[in-house]
Amino acid sequence: MKKARLSRRSFLKGAMATAVTGPWVLRFRGVAEAGPLEDRIIAAAKKAGPADLNGMIWSLYYRNMKRLSDEFKEKAGVGVKDIQDLSIFVIPQRAMAEAVSRSPKIDFFHIDSNMIPSLASAGLIEPLDGYMAEVGYKLEMLANFPSFMKYKGKTYGIPTDGNVHIQYVRKDLAENPEEQKKFSDKYGKPLAFPKTWEDSLQIAEHFHRPDKNLLGYAGLRNRANGVTWWYMNFYSAGGFPFNDDLEPTINTPAGEYAMDIYLRHKKVSHPEAPNWGTPQMIPQFTQGNAATGQYWDGTARQIESDPKSKVKGKFLYGIVPGSTFSGKLVHRSISSPLAAVLVNRYSPRKRQAALMTLYWGTLSNSIEIVTHPTWVFHDPWHAGHMTHPKVIERYSAPAMDAIAKSMQITTPPIYLTGHIEFQDVLGKHIAEAYIGQITAKQALTQTEAAWRKLIAQIGKARLKEDLVSYKAAMPTVDLPS
Amino acid sequence: MANAQTIARKPGRGLLVFKWTLLGPLFGLLLFILPAFLLQLYFSFHSWTIYLGSWWDAEFAGLGVFRDVLTDSRFWWAALRSLIFASLSTLGCFVAGFALAMAMHRPFRGHSLFYAVFILPMLTVPVVIAYTFEMLLFQRGPINGILSTILMTNVNVTWLAQPPIAVFTVIMLEIWNWTPFVFIIMLAGLSSLPPELDEAAQVLGASRWRIFSEVQLPLLRPVIMLALILRFLEAMGEFPKTWALLQGGPGSATETVPVYLFLTTWQYFHISRGAAMSYLVLIFMILIVLLGIRLLRREKQTIDAIHAKPGAGE
Repeated sequence: MKKARLSRRSFLKGAMATAVTGPWVLRFRGVAEAGPLEDRIIAAAKKAGPADLNGMIWSLYYRNMKRLSDEFKEKAGVGVKDIQDLSIFVIPQRAMAEAVSRSPKIDFFHIDSNMIPSLASAGLIEPLDGYMAEVGYKLEMLANFPSFMKYKGKTYGIPTDGNVHIQYVRKDLAENPEEQKKFSDKYGKPLAFPKTWEDSLQIAEHFHRPDKNLLGYAGLRNRANGVTWWYMNFYSAGGFPFNDDLEPTINTPAGEYAMDIYLRHKKVSHPEAPNWGTPQMIPQFTQGNAATGQYWDGTARQIESDPKSKVKGKFLYGIVPGSTFSGKLVHRSISSPLAAVLVNRYSPRKRQAALMTLYWGTLSNSIEIVTHPTWVFHDPWHAGHMTHPKVIERYSAPAMDAIAKSMQITTPPIYLTGHIEFQDVLGKHIAEAYIGQITAKQALTQTEAAWRKLIAQIGKARLKEDLVSYKAAMPTVDLPS
Repeated sequence: MANAQTIARKPGRGLLVFKWTLLGPLFGLLLFILPAFLLQLYFSFHSWTIYLGSWWDAEFAGLGVFRDVLTDSRFWWAALRSLIFASLSTLGCFVAGFALAMAMHRPFRGHSLFYAVFILPMLTVPVVIAYTFEMLLFQRGPINGILSTILMTNVNVTWLAQPPIAVFTVIMLEIWNWTPFVFIIMLAGLSSLPPELDEAAQVLGASRWRIFSEVQLPLLRPVIMLALILRFLEAMGEFPKTWALLQGGPGSATETVPVYLFLTTWQYFHISRGAAMSYLVLIFMILIVLLGIRLLRREKQTIDAIHAKPGAGE
């Protein structure tokens, strides 16, 4: 598949042009105006016959997609009748239960795409390539991003939420001349947007003023999510969790470096970080209590569009810091959970479900989902989102620039069959090291030992095949253009 | 003659009906439980992980899955955490529940209102308790605020972020949730004590403490045992509050057996390991129940012996 690339120059040109002309165009034309692709999907769905679909999806996600479901029902006779309203964190378990029962009841699942290898191995999900070819649908995502939806060469999902990590730095603080002087006096270099994790830590350290309700750093460190941040440290140091023979390779210098960086953030983080999730951390950004941090891109939208935001226009956005540990500067972001719609292979309505999924995933329709007035979680993922005026209006041009660049260097977490266990074991040990229950070295050795057992159980041969898909999703550039 | 035969047969038929009245529901219950029980047994002797194939194709593993669980240090750590959690929370529930029962034993004005208030925590859904307390327990939350006011110093406890404090917090929530259970049992026990003994001791000039320690407490021992055993068994299985509040964290501080069992079965999808683990926990629980029954029987024998003594109860 041809990889879509976006240069910085063309992005800025496009962004500027659309920002100027967009509002005028939008005044006179509906954004969600259906194009030929939508027509082809509607025609195919009509041919497939009417159907009332049942989906497993969190209502917080679905509410942005519902109008399009109703529209598809009206135009093609295929719509969503019922949803099982479950949190995206619970759906993997329920989807796996569907795999056991091979039930035809649920037609689609809205789930973290990292579950694709496990669900495909369980035989639950339907490849979508045939349906995509039939209507001429292409996954238009930047760089290697389409590979996140693929497993063993087949496409299993259509994203609805890109969820890439970007760097946040408080502009008003970083551009304050007094702060700049203090910083350069202390560290012997100018206060600039961080290029490396070490730079980022210094900035966080400089601004960490808990007595003034200002956190130097805001990033998740709880057992469930902390591991997402660790991956960025590890991958940017040139690390990869397994060698070609499926031998774990985190107890390595890159792994030790990642642990060191991860744990050094503790002194500039909130003392309750070991148990904080997104509901506690996002307000730290939007209420102006955080000076820096890496976070999901949706926070930029909350900062820039939420009427309650106290810091609109007060943040600098960019790609997450990189590392020179491997001898060259490497930046690695992460997209997890990357929410996508997958189709049940056992459903008698799988054709209609696949076409509904593609309908949600067209450029104009996905813009409607991503820019819905009530943002919940859907963030940009389509290459066309990056320059679209309505998306830029919601996220701001600097944030969209950061998102577009981050997609060129974004990575998946462990993308193998057994993903949740691989990740949870790692997350548990990292969390234990963070609160001092074990040492950083023990976290690495104990994770490797647990992984070896799991690899033996799943089978090396099977996982070696998976490894091809995992590696295909890794970025090929160290620094985005 | 015929009438005499019918009369002679009647006690036999009555016995039969009585037997089936008892056996019928028992068989019904077995039919209801047995398939799940047998399926669980099948899983624990086979090696089945959901994403690796169908359960009917799973490889026979003999005792291999049990061996895996028994040699898994994470399981033993989880068991230790469960034992600590169950023991301390049972003790806390008992002390608080018994104290409330003693206070509520005698009727007073507003007794019913207090009774209703005291049993309220038990009627609250554990997940709701977890989410409510999560909001109250933030470092800058109301609980630290109240403590700061009372103690006249700035209290900044991170209730859910440090391992020993997080464990303490979950134990306290369990005590808050389930003290009413012990309270109800102990109140029933206190109400069933014969008032004559209490009155006789008072007439003989015994102090309140002597009446409590030498009259009431010995007679309440079977009830106390029952309350402790039931509460301990229930606490060993506590999952909703621990999971909703901490998901096994911080680190692995609250990764108890139910949490690890859930992770193994429904996050890692190792159904066989989960089944074997459940059986091991079940055996442990059965041993506790048997020990409890033995202790209860002994208590009953002791009390019967006291009543059987010549002059007792005269």
